[in-house]
Amino acid sequence: MDSTVVSEGHTFSNTEPKRVKVYILENNEWKDTGTGFCIGEVSTKDEDPEQNAKDTGTKTEKKEAFLVVSDEEYPTNILLRSQLEGNIEYQRQEETLIVWKDLLGHDIALSFEESLGCDRLCDFIVQVQRHIEENISLVAVRSGDDGIGSVHEIITGPVTLPFTGAPQNTDTLFEALKIFNENTAYEYLKNETVEFVLQNDYVAMLIKFFETAEKEKELKNLLLISNIVKSLILYNQRDILELMVDDEHIMGVVGILEYDTEFPTMKANHREYLKLDAPTFKEILPLENDDLKLIVKKCFRLQFLKDVVLVRFLDDHNFNLFQDIILDLETCIIDVLEQEPFLANILALYDLPKDEENSFDDLEGKKNDGIKLIHQCVQMSKNLEDRDKTKFYKALVTMGLFNVLGYAFNVVTDPVLRILATDTIVTIIEHDILLVHNVAYKKQKLEAKKNNNSAEPLQNDGDDTDMDSKITDDMKFLMILSKILLSDKSPGLREQIIQALNTLLHPEGCFSSLDSDMEGMGSGSMLNEFNYRLNSEHNTNFNSVTKMNENMEDRELNSSMDSIENDQEFQLNEYFNNFYKQIAPVLFAPLIRSQDIPEEDATKETFDDHLLIHLVKLISFIATEHTRISSRKFILESHILKNIAALMKPTHILQLRLTALRCIKNIICLDDRYYHRYLMTNNLYDNIFELLKENIKSDNLANSCIQDLFRLIVHRYTISNIENSNIEELRQQTGVRISKKSNFSVLNKYLWNRFGDTLREISDVPAVNDMWSFYEKTQREKANASHSLNDHILNKISPTEEDEDIDISMSLSENVPDEAPGNADGRKRLHSDIE
Amino acid sequence: MMHIDRTIGLLKQGKHVKEEAVYSLCLKLQELLMAEANVTHVDTPVTICGDIHGQLHDLLTLFEKSGGVEKTRYVFLGDFVDRGFYSLESFLLLLCYKLKYPDRITLIRGNHETRQITKVYGFYDEIMRKYGNSNVWRYCCEAFDYISLGAVIGNSIFCVHGGLSPDVATIDGIRAIDRKQEVPHEGAMCDLLWSDPDDVDKWSMSPRGAGYLFGQNEVNQFLHTNGVDLIARAHQLVMEGYKEMFDGGLVTVWSAPNYCYRCGNVAAVLRIEDDLQRNYTIFEAVQPQDGGGNAIIPTKKSQMDYFL
Repeated sequence: MDSTVVSEGHTFSNTEPKRVKVYILENNEWKDTGTGFCIGEVSTKDEDPEQNAKDTGTKTEKKEAFLVVSDEEYPTNILLRSQLEGNIEYQRQEETLIVWKDLLGHDIALSFEESLGCDRLCDFIVQVQRHIEENISLVAVRSGDDGIGSVHEIITGPVTLPFTGAPQNTDTLFEALKIFNENTAYEYLKNETVEFVLQNDYVAMLIKFFETAEKEKELKNLLLISNIVKSLILYNQRDILELMVDDEHIMGVVGILEYDTEFPTMKANHREYLKLDAPTFKEILPLENDDLKLIVKKCFRLQFLKDVVLVRFLDDHNFNLFQDIILDLETCIIDVLEQEPFLANILALYDLPKDEENSFDDLEGKKNDGIKLIHQCVQMSKNLEDRDKTKFYKALVTMGLFNVLGYAFNVVTDPVLRILATDTIVTIIEHDILLVHNVAYKKQKLEAKKNNNSAEPLQNDGDDTDMDSKITDDMKFLMILSKILLSDKSPGLREQIIQALNTLLHPEGCFSSLDSDMEGMGSGSMLNEFNYRLNSEHNTNFNSVTKMNENMEDRELNSSMDSIENDQEFQLNEYFNNFYKQIAPVLFAPLIRSQDIPEEDATKETFDDHLLIHLVKLISFIATEHTRISSRKFILESHILKNIAALMKPTHILQLRLTALRCIKNIICLDDRYYHRYLMTNNLYDNIFELLKENIKSDNLANSCIQDLFRLIVHRYTISNIENSNIEELRQQTGVRISKKSNFSVLNKYLWNRFGDTLREISDVPAVNDMWSFYEKTQREKANASHSLNDHILNKISPTEEDEDIDISMSLSENVPDEAPGNADGRKRLHSDIE
Repeated sequence: MMHIDRTIGLLKQGKHVKEEAVYSLCLKLQELLMAEANVTHVDTPVTICGDIHGQLHDLLTLFEKSGGVEKTRYVFLGDFVDRGFYSLESFLLLLCYKLKYPDRITLIRGNHETRQITKVYGFYDEIMRKYGNSNVWRYCCEAFDYISLGAVIGNSIFCVHGGLSPDVATIDGIRAIDRKQEVPHEGAMCDLLWSDPDDVDKWSMSPRGAGYLFGQNEVNQFLHTNGVDLIARAHQLVMEGYKEMFDGGLVTVWSAPNYCYRCGNVAAVLRIEDDLQRNYTIFEAVQPQDGGGNAIIPTKKSQMDYFL
């Protein structure tokens, strides 16, 4: 039996027999002609020798392929022998059927026992199409997903491909465009076309035609070529795109794309832009790695195609592919930069020995550009996967990132550069989730080592103020940021610093580190590195010291992994304790003023209102986000709320006045008894009502902002009332007296007592109306209660509500002043109102 | 004022405005907007404009086709930024006009005038591309927080970006919102900027994930309660530029022609006359031009130096 045939270097073996039923269509009915085993068979047939002699003079072989089914019972009985020839279309229907019409017009169907058998024979048909009979085809037919209709998918078949020869004219180009568009219909045709484009460097060929057409000013052809390139882009194939942006093709491709059917009368100037105007790549120091250069160029060109040349053309699908490739290249760039000496050399510029400083031209310019470069790298790294980011940031830190930042914060005065430096560090901090743990942990280790090490490598520079010398290592960076915030007037830099502070002071970011895996603990947090290195900034033998420290710490860190869970909470507390002890008094200094200064003087600001807006927001933030005990202690003991309330005075810009009001609102929302008492005993609502009086007749932001406060009181009052009525129910059931007075009912009463006149002026505001009815209700209840209590013996032992109201003093605040006389009047009047 | 005129000149040519200039403009806008109500009152005649989405050149056409800011009063229903390539210039142009002619321009906040949305849909990237840092984006976002939530024209037309909210039955009820904040994920303020009208018989979930779908019932109820005849809103692309619904009780106005430079739609503005008659002006996308009258193709060219 002829079992092996070689065709075009491809070896054919007969396929293994697979069990099938053979059907032939007769009179519109499928007739079962028997069951047997099917094989795919290839045989060699000598061509007519005369014919051969005429053509080539040598004997050639012609291969023929058949589907053969032999009877399962009488193997010599052949049920079917059908040649694969001509342009027969084989259909694979569902899993187990192959159906076709042979050249004589017979409809034949093979029904396989198992789909595996069908798979084999389909593979055979594919091989035959590829190597022997290229005009046959195989199509898979499945019922559609919705169960209605059917889906055709070409598995193999002849592919029409564009003419590649010269000369090309309008007709051939038009035909090529048509073919490219049609071939996208099926995955198979698409893949074959892509293969064709890559194998034949079709793009280069197009570029040649394009150059001719442009010389001859054949506009129609130019537009056709442009459309062909666009069609190729829509193939959404990475290989094609990467080919288009390599050195040989890029100029041609953007040249072609300068012509656009959408703007037929215009030509873009992409080539000119790339040649002349494109941002020049500033090489601060020469970049030696050519591969890296190429990737950088490709990356830029892809961006250029995506954002400029094709910006109106790409759909989401294409856009994503561009993004993916760019991200991939960026990952690659960052990866190479980590290993190349390039970045390290640049970072070394910031830590040059004195005698080498003159060996660079324009060292200051280079250093300034270096800040921009590093910012760009870090920006680029933003999209990378977390692991790659961690790796890169660590590499940066090891190369000496701290020197760059130290330079930016201490030497540079240009706010733009400072902003970039801050942005860089913010990006790194925001990524580094292991911040607090490692900061605190390493700090302890460093302290311990300091004490043991008489050489004392971490001595502070003599310039540092007394204050600074008391700053623990984990607070160094916060201190730098705080000082820049208070001293630098650039609004942009302030924004950046505030963002950094928000990140650094957000306990959630810190807590989340508790859940994160322990991997990456190794050399620790970026911030910690930074803090530590700031310390040793002026130390000459700093490098060796750092290495030693890292090793030691790593070892200790690893050995203490078990106790880490417990440590972390402790360390977190330590971190925030340090913040409140060392940083907060400096950072919030503008909000902490001696109470002795008369208010008139206090309002004469040395700090501008825009800075104060940031600080007030930060207070709001720490009051809401930090542990209540620590933030409240700081806020109340420093009398910050008094100063914030004073910021609502008309001497300040309205933005600040409203920010202060919102801060108070947020604090009220905390439903914290201490805060509520503090605000009332210090009459801190007075300025809110002054603001209200100012705007009582206007429909503006200030008015809305205050209405929102009232709405909030009503809302919280209602909630706490529901809770209270539940408690009341419990009391009735158990007989246990639980007295819980809601902060909001106390507040409501206080407001009506103190500001009743003003509130009555706006009683048409729904929330104020509600507040009034709550007030009325409590007054009525109190009246009733005191009637009944008068008759009751409890009167003598349980405190009356009145007592409770007055009992709002606390250790944190100074003595409670008596209610202002005006209030007593107000109350009297209200009583008479009720009666 | 000289300063503003110069900036307007730069903007019309799509030229770079300095970071410090943007900062001071945004501060001035804050001051102006703080005096405005959550729902401002506007007199007739007035021209209502829908989404702009950073299509500066089409915004210029809009002014050209509808009388110009020197002669006409405008209400812009929000979504000045994102999608198009000139978000900053579009917003700043409106900002400058607002500063120069405070009575002739009313701005209403759209769902894109927020930090979260602009980070995703283009404005943030545009700023990074044009300035290399995000500060200008921050200044603009801070200013966005001050923009009004709606407007009432001649006591009879309620203007809002998205639509209605089950949480506010009355226009007066909108007053009690402290609007100076990032648009929240739920609640009245969110709904006003996110909701859509639809063929529904009660408040329904919105496929957008924020706001609600509301139908004829809700619209009739709102019109009746507040004594107005029409809700004018934007927020949804309309191929014909505008679309009236619910027996003319609601209209969607869309003012970004050929949206995203590829949707093929026309744009419209709606002029309300003194007698409250509605006149629509339709306009198409134009070939953008630079300051010198040369045609340009809108792109996202970077203006930054590259070090890599």
